[in-house]
Amino acid sequence: MTRHYSAALPIAFVMLRILIVLNWLLGAAILVLLLIMPHEQWIMSAFQLTPSPDAQRLIWGLRAVAALGLVTIPINNMILKRLLAMVDTVRMGDPFVATNARRLQGIAWALLALQLIGLVIAIIGKLISTPAHPVDFDTSFSLNGWLAVLLTFVLARVFAEGAGMREDLEGTV
Amino acid sequence: MAIIVKLDDLLHDRRMTLTELAERVGITIVNLSILKTGKARAIRFSTLEALCAALSCQPGDILEFLPDAAEEKEAA
Repeated sequence: MTRHYSAALPIAFVMLRILIVLNWLLGAAILVLLLIMPHEQWIMSAFQLTPSPDAQRLIWGLRAVAALGLVTIPINNMILKRLLAMVDTVRMGDPFVATNARRLQGIAWALLALQLIGLVIAIIGKLISTPAHPVDFDTSFSLNGWLAVLLTFVLARVFAEGAGMREDLEGTV
Repeated sequence: MAIIVKLDDLLHDRRMTLTELAERVGITIVNLSILKTGKARAIRFSTLEALCAALSCQPGDILEFLPDAAEEKEAA
């Protein structure tokens, strides 16, 4: 049986490693941001805000969004690590195993969580936005994200079937 | 398994080693060993054909069905 060489795997391997590091760096950046946030005067001057109930809400909103952003970091990490593990199984020539079906299932749920968090961030954005200080988080409704969730759930099912078929083939000469 | 593989006897009769058979048939020694020791769960027709050609025999010479073993499995 000839294996057709595809550059997809080596590229994926390298990209995933890079993304994992970038993700942690992003987490560190958000953490720093959250630590600065308590200093309201600094934020007020940075955003040229005048103390008012609106400005207060704005600051709390930004804090909430930053906190939610922080939550996505470990979720991203989980997705990337599982994907990396899956790429490894393909490299070793045996990807259709039950473990990968479970990994995909986990990734699907994580993607769903990310979509929901994105939704909440968008809602917060709408709530704290005022004519004086308009806020627009471009995590507004994106079909691609939800499509990815659906795709991954289906793929998890496909892999479960594949694992069954693979096991059936075990011991065939 | 209720299906017995009689590769040992055939190899002995033909004075052939497993390695030689593997080379002739184009199957790995690992797979032939699995077959020989009764650990195989299924055999492809292509494999069976290659074996029969190499050993100049019929499928029935290689494979045997033991009804008693099958009944024991049913009861279990």
